[in-house]
Amino acid sequence: MGQIVIQQSAPGFELRHFEDAGRNDLALYSNPVEARAISTYSDAGEFRPLKTAPTLRHGWRLQLPDLESLRTALDFFYPAMLGSLLSHERNELLPVDLRETLGRQSGMYAVTKKITDPQADALIETVCNSAHGCLKTILWQIAPDRPVTSLPAEKFNPAVSQIPAALPVLPMLCAEACNLLVAAAREVVKKVPVAE
Amino acid sequence: MKSNSALLIVGHGSTVNPDSSTPTFAHADEIVRQGVFNEVHCVFWKEEPSLRQALHLIDSDEIYVVPNFISEGYFTRTVIPRELELTGPITHRLGRTIKYCDPAGSHQRMTDLLLRRAAEVAPGVPPSETTLFIVGHGTNLNDNSAVAAKREVQLIAERGLYAEVLNAYMEEEPLISKWDELASQKNVVVVPFFISDGLHSYQDIPVLLGIESEITAAASQRGIFRNNPYRLRGKTLYYASSIGTEPLFANVILDQVAAFDQLHREDAE
Repeated sequence: MGQIVIQQSAPGFELRHFEDAGRNDLALYSNPVEARAISTYSDAGEFRPLKTAPTLRHGWRLQLPDLESLRTALDFFYPAMLGSLLSHERNELLPVDLRETLGRQSGMYAVTKKITDPQADALIETVCNSAHGCLKTILWQIAPDRPVTSLPAEKFNPAVSQIPAALPVLPMLCAEACNLLVAAAREVVKKVPVAE
Repeated sequence: MKSNSALLIVGHGSTVNPDSSTPTFAHADEIVRQGVFNEVHCVFWKEEPSLRQALHLIDSDEIYVVPNFISEGYFTRTVIPRELELTGPITHRLGRTIKYCDPAGSHQRMTDLLLRRAAEVAPGVPPSETTLFIVGHGTNLNDNSAVAAKREVQLIAERGLYAEVLNAYMEEEPLISKWDELASQKNVVVVPFFISDGLHSYQDIPVLLGIESEITAAASQRGIFRNNPYRLRGKTLYYASSIGTEPLFANVILDQVAAFDQLHREDAE
């Protein structure tokens, strides 16, 4: 899931960064709550408010005794992603298009309604791309008749891994634009000079 | 015991300060430790998991939602109900019952917590020779938190323990930056009326007080919290961490759940 490899390791599971697969110098953790601290900062020491950003730090492994602790750890690493996937499989994860998300904003974010479709498309490419932005698979469109065109088709396909590794994947599903994208949309609208 | 229910604690969170969500998680950990609920989760406005993802985190059919906010206001009345699609104090949705409680900070136990924090930060200092400040943000946007801070000051003053109990704000009069002019006593205790030791209480207010000359790094990125007391401007100043970081805040969250049950039981009768 995301940048994490989950392996069965009797009697439970072991988690590590997929790029740490061959390392034997990893710091060992065994409490699922440690996942919160591991995922707070990147390798560069930067705060990670978006947990699905491709910036999970390296150098750790987490041994967990059972499914319950695995779920707890994954909910700290990638909040709500397992639950969202289960909801998706029950057809209960209902994508919300960007226009609807922006349309209900109030206060300082009410202005985001003014973003144009091309501006939104360009912003989504910058904020959501899997290489530097976010590893989620996008399920929503800009509007019912306006798909996102700035990112490759794989970004919208739950069957495709968003990391450069050939591993079976539990997709992380994005049913709706997050607050980070809404906040970025506000910046776009605020910066654009009034057309003359 | 609510062994078939979930508790959802809603925090503001921050995209820049990792300490903003820390107390919310700490209170959740404490409530998990107490084993009251079947599951306990935190969601945030500015961090993940988001309010919109909340229901996918939770397995239980009965969900108590407690905003970890310092007062009623824009977030508790507009943002949280909208994002969680609540229809009132009790919402029935997709076979689930969502019970929306009052924010932690509006519970009557807050007065005791503020007094406790003030006493802790200045051990051995007689309250009868001390000015106590409760500091809020204080702008129009946060009007409700200013009202709540004023109410707490009045309640504390009524107990007659401190020589003087005053409100002060970061951005409106009376300004906390004039603490030495406002305080009549030689000892001064300052308790921030905030949920976390984030930007305002850890980084901005110390500069306004004069105990830091410039904005420092976030609390979690520095080795020490504070070096109380500060001998400054002819007085002795004690600066507490935010009231929302008080460990007993976890119990206040549980108190709001109990208060919700009591109120709605009375409604049903």
